Amino acid sequence: MLMPRKVKYRKQQRGRNSGMAKGGETISFGDYGIQALEPAWVTARQIEAARIAMTRHVKRGGKVWIRVFPDKPVTQKPAETRMGSGKGNPEHWVAVVKPGRVLFELSGVDEALAQAAMERAIQKLPMKARFIVRPGLGSTPEVQV
Amino acid sequence: MAEVQLVAEPGRPEGSRASRRLRHDGRIPAVVYGHGIDPIPVSVDARDLRVALNGEAGARALLELHIGSTQHLAVARQLQRHPVRQTVTHIDFQVVSRDEIISADVPILLIGEALAVHRGAGTVAQELQMLNVKARPANLPPHLDIDITDLEIGHTIRVGDIQLPEGVESDADPDQAVVTGQPPQVAAVEEEPEAVEGVEGAVPGPEAEAAGGEGVGDS
Repeated sequence: MLMPRKVKYRKQQRGRNSGMAKGGETISFGDYGIQALEPAWVTARQIEAARIAMTRHVKRGGKVWIRVFPDKPVTQKPAETRMGSGKGNPEHWVAVVKPGRVLFELSGVDEALAQAAMERAIQKLPMKARFIVRPGLGSTPEVQV
Repeated sequence: MAEVQLVAEPGRPEGSRASRRLRHDGRIPAVVYGHGIDPIPVSVDARDLRVALNGEAGARALLELHIGSTQHLAVARQLQRHPVRQTVTHIDFQVVSRDEIISADVPILLIGEALAVHRGAGTVAQELQMLNVKARPANLPPHLDIDITDLEIGHTIRVGDIQLPEGVESDADPDQAVVTGQPPQVAAVEEEPEAVEGVEGAVPGPEAEAAGGEGVGDS
């Protein structure tokens, strides 16, 4: 699973997740992608599960890009612990995702297979997402208005 | 390249609220600049814009822009899109002249099927989607075609191998890879969990088994 090798501070504040993606909202490397439609924290496990679902469906050929990285630590207090005595322990890592963000990209397979694989990957994600195609590829118009 | 007619209405109100109302009415806010003219805020009809920029030349179409009583030869220089809907929210038109050499990003299309690569269970990886070229507006190609029929595993087609049409040049590095025939990837083997080094701030617990993930190119 993805996680930072080294961080300067072990614990972070939660922050707010408002607005829309202001970067990484277009397909940059492959031909097809998964785009988030809702804000979410995507855990490293979910990213890995989605990647495995996608690559297993494609079987052979194809190249996958993961466009998000879980660099935010999430803490949890142990079960049945009294409140107080400081912030909990870091338990897992999440990627902060805003609507519009492209999470995965895929190339080297035809559109039908890519869509089927990515629909499976979307099932592993904690928010609504959709399959998108690079503008200008196939029947996708280059300019949408 | 034939010019596409597009009517732009000058004197649009500026500001985000007014622009939002314009979009609601089916118009796209835009600005026209270049060749020493003062920037002109205009708006164009969304349907007309879609027709104009989805022709053979795509978003690189040469436009005959009618602004009130004046006409300008222009190209769409920058398109701002909505991050989720991907619809165009604003567009920059740059005025050009026929004799001037302009630069534009032209898409690279792969033609044919790399049978040698597919036979070897490899994949064709397109490393470069667009190539920046310089040409007169009329000479700008709608796309650059690359024949990959003879591509083999381990071979690379580079920028220098692309035959550009007459009157078109590119400043891109000729050694930059455009398409490569990649060998088949070995079936994924479960990686041995690597021990996390005793780094400052490393997160303990069950996640520790997951060191060293790379974000790119696994299948």
